[in-house]
Amino acid sequence: MKILSMDDRLAKNRFDSDDVNSHIIVDKIACRTCTDNRACTFCCPAERYKWDTINDKLSFDHVGCLECGNCRFVCTRLNQGVEGYSWNYPEQGKGIIYQQG
Amino acid sequence: MSEDKFEVIIIGAGVAGSAAAYRLAKAGKQVILVDRGETPGAKNVTGGRLYTYALDALMPGEWADAPLEREVTREIMMMMTPEDSMAIDSTFSHISPSHTVLRAKFDAWLAAKAEEEGAMLIAGSTVDGLIIKDGKVAGVKMGEEELEADLVISAEGVNAIVAERAGLIKPLNVKNMAVGAKHVIKLSEGKINDRFNLESGKGAAVLCVGDCNKNISGGAFLYTNKDTISLGLVVDSYGWKNSKLPIVDVVEQLKQHPSIARYIEGGEVVEYSAHVIPEGGYNSLPQIYSDGFLLTGDAAGLVVNRGFTVRGMDYAILSGIAAAETAIAAIDANDYSKNFLKQYEDKLQPYVLKDLQTFKNSHDYIAHSYHLFNTYPGLALEMMRSMYTVDANPSKSVFNLVKQTVFSGKLPYFEILKDAWKGGRSL
Repeated sequence: MKILSMDDRLAKNRFDSDDVNSHIIVDKIACRTCTDNRACTFCCPAERYKWDTINDKLSFDHVGCLECGNCRFVCTRLNQGVEGYSWNYPEQGKGIIYQQG
Repeated sequence: MSEDKFEVIIIGAGVAGSAAAYRLAKAGKQVILVDRGETPGAKNVTGGRLYTYALDALMPGEWADAPLEREVTREIMMMMTPEDSMAIDSTFSHISPSHTVLRAKFDAWLAAKAEEEGAMLIAGSTVDGLIIKDGKVAGVKMGEEELEADLVISAEGVNAIVAERAGLIKPLNVKNMAVGAKHVIKLSEGKINDRFNLESGKGAAVLCVGDCNKNISGGAFLYTNKDTISLGLVVDSYGWKNSKLPIVDVVEQLKQHPSIARYIEGGEVVEYSAHVIPEGGYNSLPQIYSDGFLLTGDAAGLVVNRGFTVRGMDYAILSGIAAAETAIAAIDANDYSKNFLKQYEDKLQPYVLKDLQTFKNSHDYIAHSYHLFNTYPGLALEMMRSMYTVDANPSKSVFNLVKQTVFSGKLPYFEILKDAWKGGRSL
């Protein structure tokens, strides 16, 4: 079966994205001193976190997030809610709308 | 009771929340069910299958129209190396019933059942906090809006951030979590019947360890739905964090393994989903009752993974029933104190908590048995290859083959015996 890129995979899903507010807040510059081997970049099943090597900072896109919560466990800062980091569900039903689940 | 205060508010219309709402409404209690999904189920994911004895317990004789996919009669345990696989394939004419399900359909149906009984559903609303008065939970907050209640039941799921923020439970640790990702692949009903050798309405479940989980604690799963296949991977969050492997690629590779690819050939991926699972079990159970507050389902960590069976939704339903029964007693006694609500734990003990206790070491065993995922699949495959190999070389007896396989794996007998002993007691 054809290998699908993450964009192709997420394009199969229905989203009602909040284009303005991100439900997950990370301090992309402070992430330079990550103590978790940048686990978010390889543990997020939707590949929403990437390391921007040119600007040496994290890049994160909340649109396309599957709201699983794995990042809030693998990232110590999100887990402990330290300043600059917070994890919430999108407001008022925004985000992923599973048709199958 | 004041006009603007409800008897019970339930956070989350998953299986635990809707089960509780159904029972409360059926008993004539005033219950509000709040869900953040556009419709109930829109935020939920299962592997998965539901052991349907739980539906019998919830609504005996009233779930004939439930949108269940297929009744599982064929169970396959598979071990795989990058190219090969071996499987233990069991078919049953009679076994405790379980059905494959898809949550978007199933949860919407169960919530509708609760509504029919008189529960009030508020969908598309995210509860983001609790109202606390004099140290007691007294309602929920949804942005600017507040709703008051005598009792709040959290069925908010594994990321129980409302209960966490209120300080009612501790945040879960990565060591107690697993993460799953799943493709739903569309095929025709007839093709699924043919490929899995199934009668219409009957289904197969495949659980697989080995190369699919890249030697990290976990495994792949495949469940046949009516005209789709659920194919995915569940791995230990902590193990994966240390692996540094890209999970998105490993999930995709699963589709390419020859032992899987032949089942899904020609199918179309219609959805890609992900979810985390609280696998810590008994040793990581939170406080499940507080003043004016009960915790159910995944939010309470009611999951048992024994490797060959993974249970959560049935426990969620049972906890929903127990929470509703406790709530009904609390309303009748007009007592929502922690002391009174303690009976919730007693109600959960015989069915749910007892299982969690029995298998309290299963997560530890599965997460920390290196050879289970790393060594045994390869050894088993080598052993089978030797057994089926016929060539010009002199053949060996089975006994000698076993000996040769085990020793070639550089694995001391002691290690194998230790794993077998611990596994037998933990799972």
